[in-house]
Amino acid sequence: MNEILSIQGLSKSYKSVQAIRKLNLQISEGQAYGILGPNGSGKTTTLSIVTGILRQDEGSFSWFGETPEASQRKSIGSLIETPHFYPYLNLEKNLRIICDIKGMDYRDIHRVLQKAKLYERRRSRFSTLSLGMKQRLGIAAALLGDPRVLVLDEPTNGLDPEGIAEVREVVLEQVKQGKTLILASHILSEVEKICNHVAILKKGELLADGPVKELLAEDEIIELSCNKNEVLKAKLENSGLVKEIETENGLLVLTLNEKVTPSEINAFAFEQNLVIHHLLSRKRSLESQFLELVKEE
Amino acid sequence: MIRRLLHIEQIKLLNYNPFRITLGIYFLAFALGLLIYPAIDKEIPVISLSDLFRFPDVWLFLTWITEPYNILLALVIIMITTKEFNNHTFKTQLIFGLSRNELLLQKLMLVVVLALFATLLLGATSLTLGLIYSYKITFKIALDNTYTLLRYFLSSFAYMSFGLLIALLIKNTAMSLLTFLAFRTFVDPVLFLILRKSEVKWYLPMRTTTQLTPVPNVIEIFQKKLNSPESIDESTLEIIPEGLPDWLNILMVLLYMGLAILASYRLMQRRRFV
Repeated sequence: MNEILSIQGLSKSYKSVQAIRKLNLQISEGQAYGILGPNGSGKTTTLSIVTGILRQDEGSFSWFGETPEASQRKSIGSLIETPHFYPYLNLEKNLRIICDIKGMDYRDIHRVLQKAKLYERRRSRFSTLSLGMKQRLGIAAALLGDPRVLVLDEPTNGLDPEGIAEVREVVLEQVKQGKTLILASHILSEVEKICNHVAILKKGELLADGPVKELLAEDEIIELSCNKNEVLKAKLENSGLVKEIETENGLLVLTLNEKVTPSEINAFAFEQNLVIHHLLSRKRSLESQFLELVKEE
Repeated sequence: MIRRLLHIEQIKLLNYNPFRITLGIYFLAFALGLLIYPAIDKEIPVISLSDLFRFPDVWLFLTWITEPYNILLALVIIMITTKEFNNHTFKTQLIFGLSRNELLLQKLMLVVVLALFATLLLGATSLTLGLIYSYKITFKIALDNTYTLLRYFLSSFAYMSFGLLIALLIKNTAMSLLTFLAFRTFVDPVLFLILRKSEVKWYLPMRTTTQLTPVPNVIEIFQKKLNSPESIDESTLEIIPEGLPDWLNILMVLLYMGLAILASYRLMQRRRFV
């Protein structure tokens, strides 16, 4: 697979704050790569550096296997934080400026405005748009010229639920066409729905990266209680059925091994002459897994 | 690419109201000049301002009179550049593929275009007035002194590159405008007064720029006319000799312009556009 973006040992600090620290990422062609992390984890800083707005303190990055150059950005469609355009120009004229920068003709403008559901507003000044519309114009600008790489930083920021769904659809369509997507988000479900690869950042450091399926796998968790909790706990620990056992408010909380069902646990307890009087299956949500991953040590 | 960069500036400027207004004032100032001077003329007996509109004097006179108009052009450059900071549009242009050097080049090309425009406007106005008020017109007389147009171009360029530097340095529109105007109308003249005993006063940046379009000796020509009304046709304007030798003055302006552009380049490389 062709390399699209490679980041090596990237560091950046603002005065006293270390925004990112020795970050390494590899993104290949056709990947939908999510950069997931809470606010202040360095997502925007990373994307600002690779899109030429910020200079790194240390480390390097390369686009398409080459040293970074302004002209490479012409084949990348980016939206970093909130989109900024000329407030007194209408949408069409704002996009013409982008076309001129990218060295393409104006024919694509109508297509992207229609995609972003802004075609009717094409003659309105940018300053008259609502927050959500501005965000959609940012996405329209990123789609101009059908770039092979999209870099989107929190693209659904400020959108209403309908807008979020529409943007998601547009982005997914790009992914299906084989475009490379780099998506920064603090919303787990967004990354889960759109991306196939994910890197999790926390305080500027890479916590984990890999395929979404592996990294964000769901574990089955059950809570139960029986007449002799301590006995059952000791027996289960050696049974090979569970990964983890914890005691919570007089209940046993079990993280099951793969393909183990709650009824097997019940049967196991029955064999040991223990009577379970409470058994509840609770799937640990991805959300809590994510929170756990980025939680303070 | 150069044409593209200019086209981008064109889209930004022609739809920008403050630019349209300033340019309107600039045109008006030229047009009013054409209308007002002849009107004043009727109220002053013996002395006729139209004497100054004859070839080849008209070139020197109008260049000197319209020099302050360049301040307006510098204000335009300051407004359009600081607005890019306020609207975060330098950032947008970077993201979509311009380099930092291209951002600066874009503004410098705008400076050149506006300076050319101002020079052409001055040239056309001078030519029109000259054709109207001259008694006798020959090529030699008409085109004498046209080199002042080059000085005007340089003056215009210098004003705007100084404005660009201030805009990149300060970033805030109102503060930049004030700083520029303060330099032109207050700081430089006051320094000139303080240094009046020293030759250094002629090396002040704004002073060298205003010296590009020097004061013609208007009084002298009127005195000549009062003394012998007939001989006026033959006498032409003289430049009051003061300040640095001409070549040194031009060199100093070029040096200051070079420094301003170099500093702008450095600033553009270092600025954070987030």
